[in-house]
Amino acid sequence: MTTLAPVPTSGTAISPVPLRQLAWVARRRNRATVLGLGGLLAALATYLVVTGLQAHAAYDDLGSCVPPITTDACRIRWDSFINGQGQRGLTGPLLLMLPGIVGAVVGAPLIGRELESGVFRYSWTQGAGRMRWAVAIIIPIVVLTAALMGSLGLLVAWRNGPVVDAGATQRLDTSTFPTTGVAVLGWTLLGLSAGVLAGLIWRRVVPAVASSFAAWFGLAYLASTVRPQLLTPLTSAGQPPVGSLDIADHWTKDGVGVPVSEVSSVLEKVGVQMREDGFSAQVEAGSPAPTDPITYLSDHGYIQVHSYQPDSRYWTFQWIELSWLVLVSLALLGLTFWLVRRRSI
Amino acid sequence: MNIIETHELGRRYGTTWALQDCSLTIPAGHLTALVGPNGAGKTTLLNLVIGLSAPSAGNLTVLGDLRPGSLSALDGIGFVAQDVPVYRGFSVSDMVHLTKNLNRSFDVGYARQRLGDLGIDLRKRAGQLSGGQRAQLALTLALARHPRLLVLDEPTAALDPLARHDFMATVMAAMADDGVSVVLSSHLLAELERVADHLVLMSGGRVSLHGAVDDLLAEHRLVTTRSGPVTKDPLWEVVESSTAGAQTQQLVRLRSPESLPASEHDARPVGIEELAMAYLRTGGRHVGRVLEGAHR
Repeated sequence: MTTLAPVPTSGTAISPVPLRQLAWVARRRNRATVLGLGGLLAALATYLVVTGLQAHAAYDDLGSCVPPITTDACRIRWDSFINGQGQRGLTGPLLLMLPGIVGAVVGAPLIGRELESGVFRYSWTQGAGRMRWAVAIIIPIVVLTAALMGSLGLLVAWRNGPVVDAGATQRLDTSTFPTTGVAVLGWTLLGLSAGVLAGLIWRRVVPAVASSFAAWFGLAYLASTVRPQLLTPLTSAGQPPVGSLDIADHWTKDGVGVPVSEVSSVLEKVGVQMREDGFSAQVEAGSPAPTDPITYLSDHGYIQVHSYQPDSRYWTFQWIELSWLVLVSLALLGLTFWLVRRRSI
Repeated sequence: MNIIETHELGRRYGTTWALQDCSLTIPAGHLTALVGPNGAGKTTLLNLVIGLSAPSAGNLTVLGDLRPGSLSALDGIGFVAQDVPVYRGFSVSDMVHLTKNLNRSFDVGYARQRLGDLGIDLRKRAGQLSGGQRAQLALTLALARHPRLLVLDEPTAALDPLARHDFMATVMAAMADDGVSVVLSSHLLAELERVADHLVLMSGGRVSLHGAVDDLLAEHRLVTTRSGPVTKDPLWEVVESSTAGAQTQQLVRLRSPESLPASEHDARPVGIEELAMAYLRTGGRHVGRVLEGAHR
């Protein structure tokens, strides 16, 4: 009990606290967070499994009634499938926001709560030093959270499978793309690193959660508008292949662009109105069936050209997304560690 | 070896200097009391010593020649911050393990035994402990690291007299057993009078007096002049002077301990508290600059 600690001779570096000990610190310090996160994700996963099984069963019932659909009977069954499985209420937006929410709620308190409660005056003055402490507190939970969210992304992709295969949505669609694949990892990392940094800057948890989520949301929105343009879109005359993300379309006549009004007036001559969602024709009793507008237009040299991103580019887009998100996240984490080292109260 | 050595150390917040021109030498093996009113700069100085804070001016070394906040320095210093921060949701046992795992060496046996002796339940949450128990827990955790320097920032401020006594008894026992040097801040000098052998008096962000308590007592006298005008005496300098009727009392610092006042003066030794109060009231004016707003 009276043994003195070994006296390091001046100037010599001492061996740092072993990682094995810091692993205990990481586990104990973030235990409640991991339990809470695990509970939330388990509940979501259960929901996804149940609805996913339903979607797969309904898709199997659909048989060959997937686009291109030829018979009216098929169209009715397909419509009913889409109405049943294509709409998920608030789950879609929730899954979109989840990496940002989880990132802010898990990330912001890591340093923010220490600073808010004053406990950092204990934890930063132990023999391990503040840097090793920060590494122990931040890195394992970031890796674990990203892994959990990545697993959830796999489940989301599986659950979306039937709806995508039925042609009701696309893997590249903004509403699902960031929630699947490796992009969900990137968005989780961004949420976490933004949360950790905000906690350090604000020194309070609540504003840190709010501001880091707001920043995350802004970037996510920006990314969703820029993403379709990151690779040069392909073009097709007429409808792009099934599964493609349709970005824009315009009409051409003999290879030259024409305004929609011209197409509209051409159709009006044969009694067909152009509408947002298709065509309509006034048909009087006894008169012959109206002209098929598509056939009529193509017969007269009018072609609708679509620019689109093909489904085959899904993984290219995924890796692009992950790459820049990881770079931004690493920059934020690097800034965080630098600020922790420099912080002076 | 000097446990703390500072040279013209300063810490500024915005345009306000919380600590200024602080040059101190605190040798190892002492219990040093850092005394001053609230806002005197005590916590600022201790935060610089432990490395939570970086100097705005000057420099300091700890434990010989180590940089504050370096791993070697942190390894050798046990620190109990003001208001005794602990993870409130952790059990006492968790706090023991946490501190063990955040340090290279930690005496779990010592910690458990001391907590047992104090009647602190290991399963109890740290946030549910009384103020006295929490302070004792933090002190035990710091001591179980067997540091060479123990830094305590107002550790007894929130404690009742009995808990305060128990706390100081633990500190004294550790000094006797381990030979740990202690630096302790307080705005109450009375409780430290019997235990501190080194005194640093601070006010308004400056050190107004520091030295070994015995030396300080030896070189100060309270001189009472019964009549006539007060004359300057080359043997001493006046720290504080007060006149009541025909009687003038002066607290004086002898230019050398041998130069005792002549017999026509009524001179008597002073107590450490009396001495400190005189310096704090005058704001340390006589040691150099005039301090503005140090004491109102």
